Amino acid sequence: MVQRTAEEALVLIRKRLCDPDYIFSVFSDSPDSNYSKLKFIVSSSVTEACNNSILLLGPRGCGKIAVLDLVLEDLLKEYPDMISVIKLNGLLHCDDNCALKEIARQLCIEHELMFSKMASSDDNSQFMIAMLRECGLAHKTVVFVLDEFDLFAQGKQRLLYSLLDAMQSVSSQAVVIGVSCRLDADQLLEKRVRSRFSHRKLLFLPPQKDDLHRLLKHILLLPVDSSLPHDYVTDFNSRISNILADRRFIEITDKLIDSDSTVSNFVRFLFSAVSCIDFKSGYMTLENFKSALSTIQRQPKLDCLKDCSILELYIMVCMKRLEVKEQASYNFNSVMKEYKSIHDSFQTSDIYSRNVCLRAFEHLLDRQLIEFADRGHNQFIEFRSVKLLISPAELHQGLKSNRSCPVILQKLLETNCATI
Amino acid sequence: MSTEESPHVTRRTTRLSSSYTPNAIESAAKSINLPSLTLRDLVFGKEETLTLEGLISSLPGRRNQILEILRLLGPVNSPVSPLFVYGGVSTGKTSTILQVFRHLNRPFVYSSCRTCYSARQLFDNILNQLLLHRKSEINDYSSAKKCEKQADFINLLKEALVGVVDGLKGNMGKSSRSKKSEGCVNGSMVYLIFDSLELVRVWDKSATILPLLFKLHDILKVPDLGLIFISSSSLDTYHWDTGFVDPIPVYFPDYTEEGLKQIFMRNQSNSKLLSTFLDVVLKPFCRVTRRLDELSTALSPLFKKYCEPLDDLDDIPDEETRRQLFTCLQPHIGPALNEIFRVTSEPSVEAGIKNNLKRKNPLKKFGNDSIDDIDFHMSTSAKYLLISAFLASRNPATLDASFFDSTGGSANQKKKRKASEKSRDLKEASEQEQFMKGPGTFPLERLLAIFQCLTSSEEYSLEEDEDSQEKMSLGGDFGENSLMSDILLQVSSLCSANFLTKGGSCPLEGSTRYRSTVSEDLALKVARSLKFPLSKYLYRR
Repeated sequence: MVQRTAEEALVLIRKRLCDPDYIFSVFSDSPDSNYSKLKFIVSSSVTEACNNSILLLGPRGCGKIAVLDLVLEDLLKEYPDMISVIKLNGLLHCDDNCALKEIARQLCIEHELMFSKMASSDDNSQFMIAMLRECGLAHKTVVFVLDEFDLFAQGKQRLLYSLLDAMQSVSSQAVVIGVSCRLDADQLLEKRVRSRFSHRKLLFLPPQKDDLHRLLKHILLLPVDSSLPHDYVTDFNSRISNILADRRFIEITDKLIDSDSTVSNFVRFLFSAVSCIDFKSGYMTLENFKSALSTIQRQPKLDCLKDCSILELYIMVCMKRLEVKEQASYNFNSVMKEYKSIHDSFQTSDIYSRNVCLRAFEHLLDRQLIEFADRGHNQFIEFRSVKLLISPAELHQGLKSNRSCPVILQKLLETNCATI
Repeated sequence: MSTEESPHVTRRTTRLSSSYTPNAIESAAKSINLPSLTLRDLVFGKEETLTLEGLISSLPGRRNQILEILRLLGPVNSPVSPLFVYGGVSTGKTSTILQVFRHLNRPFVYSSCRTCYSARQLFDNILNQLLLHRKSEINDYSSAKKCEKQADFINLLKEALVGVVDGLKGNMGKSSRSKKSEGCVNGSMVYLIFDSLELVRVWDKSATILPLLFKLHDILKVPDLGLIFISSSSLDTYHWDTGFVDPIPVYFPDYTEEGLKQIFMRNQSNSKLLSTFLDVVLKPFCRVTRRLDELSTALSPLFKKYCEPLDDLDDIPDEETRRQLFTCLQPHIGPALNEIFRVTSEPSVEAGIKNNLKRKNPLKKFGNDSIDDIDFHMSTSAKYLLISAFLASRNPATLDASFFDSTGGSANQKKKRKASEKSRDLKEASEQEQFMKGPGTFPLERLLAIFQCLTSSEEYSLEEDEDSQEKMSLGGDFGENSLMSDILLQVSSLCSANFLTKGGSCPLEGSTRYRSTVSEDLALKVARSLKFPLSKYLYRR
């Protein structure tokens, strides 16, 4: 029975975590939030029947699109039949013809018209301008959402020009909203486009600590008025509040925020914490959050080093030694020479034939611990110069963490580093 | 990929193999009668589902990973963030994911970026599976939907996904009413699995496809969609200028020795014997590689060797025989270690071992050059060409005269002087350069000149019973066009066999330059087969 309720609670929280609209609704109530600002701008251009353009800028995972969706949803409720939304994505529609086609398609769906797949891009462009005029006459605002705005600024920017140029006429009524994670997105625009663009920008920043705290409560606390048993909900919530107040928990979140404080990173952390929940007891514990932190903050290079075989470690230590010797560039042959010289002077037991070493070398390339430094295509692996992709400190730590690593290797690396 | 994965990865073929009939005419009639695919076909196979214990025991050494994935996927009908499953080659990523879905009995769409080698193929494959479309003779083996652009794909995918999810929800409603859940699909979530994602990085247009795949969840906005990416390299090797929101990583470490042993012991008859064998052998081999696929090819011939002295394989070896077996095996381990990665015909390995055993110092010899004969056929003139190309690549062009002129042959010895400090430094530097640069390039004329020199000096030593054609082409008159073209033909066939590579043309002369790609070992072998004193002509610094 406990398991059933715990499962139900888990599904509820996971649904919240996978729904960005729910997550960002917590930030919508304060008057100086981006939500309120954006809503004001868009709604004023709807009511005053004017053209407008705005850029939403900020790092990835700060809720630009989610907030925009919330605003548009609200406005669609407030002003039904006065807004139609056209959504484009730079990843999908950065080609002008493709974008025009998509605009025409969405306009057709919106206004229940027949869409012709065969229409040329010229037809589509004319259709769009005509529709803009029609909508303007009917006092209907068309909202263009351009996600990954920086990608639209590649090439000739014909689409942006024709969109913004159409907005210069009195009869049209449209809002162009660009969304980008490049803060210099408006600098990418051509002069003719830039002059037609209003330089309104909204900056989305990662939330502050107290905001994150609010977010935590917003996501983790179970609603009292749900189908879940009342006792369970109160118990669950009190335990969560205890954890949130715990000093150790605050340490964990601080560690997380130090590396990346965007909401999406935080949500990922919560998701993996929540999925660790133990169905037998049915409650979350501090351990869940601890293990989530370690899964989110992985160090892939160190993991790789931990998996390396002894021979692969030998090769990397040889490369490091060559680097310390200030050899400008080196390749497999020079690594082999170093490998042999180590063997000659220390009589190690790990001596393998050249073919075997070459394959180990290829494994390292596969693992992306080393990389070719040149772009030679018709050369052989043996002769192409390579470089290490890990720092000496990482290599050192990797050697330490590898259980079967021979002591001689660590010594070789240490004496080598000491000489410089 | 690895041997243990192969039975599971071929899901599509096993699904189709049920329709296979040997008679071609009959099959045409049969294929029309094939039942159309249903939503039921989106789950793993038709076999009965796995229990959790069965799942964990079927994949030794992957217990933690299985539990982690199960936790992240969550209970039925719970939405999931995109997962990124990564780990080295042959660590059981694909089979674990597929077996987990077999256990969960949830619908999924598996597409590997290896078999779907371009974006279009990938899109078609996903849509075909989602739309329950089967390529057959009736539809001329065409795909369900044509989609060339990513924008079209997203629209079609969304349509298809919504259709499938609605279908699943409808099914669920029905089955819960009729209480007949058996053989039914679990839940209304659909999972898209992308395998070998690391290959997408080298596709053309990868700059837009990768971020698209990673953002699929946000773009589609279908809550009933789960995304799972399987890749052999970690997330930090996926570069894109403006980045993407990372999926949740799940790491598959390489198997430990313990795990490897368990995998090798699976489904084996004489497990006691194998276990004693593995105890001896695994440790040295793991120092070189822990990759399952490579280990299994290296160990299977060694195990045969191990079993050879035994009469009855079912015997449980006692301490004494164990020691005997070990002493028998001991000398074979060393050479086998050096053969791990070599793909070679069985007898040559054996010969190598025997030779090494004769010399009684199998490990001291660095490299295995004891295989004297080359294992491919080549005409004598081609062998000479190969050698001359090798010489042209290794020797500096300025020394050709002193090596090959009948008058200047002795000049070589005169040059020997006592090496001063400075010259030794120079020597080291040039050696370094040789290391870095690899074999040099040469024009065709130089190759032909060296070839003529070699063959004219060797012509008398050629055996008498060789046919006149060859003699003429080797030692004879090169002015004749037909023979010259024969040599040129040999050069081009050496090129296509990758013994020579055509490099870029020389900026001054404008002619194509060649480069010899054979290693010194191979060149020496070829020279030995001709009884040609190669080392006499090779310039050593």
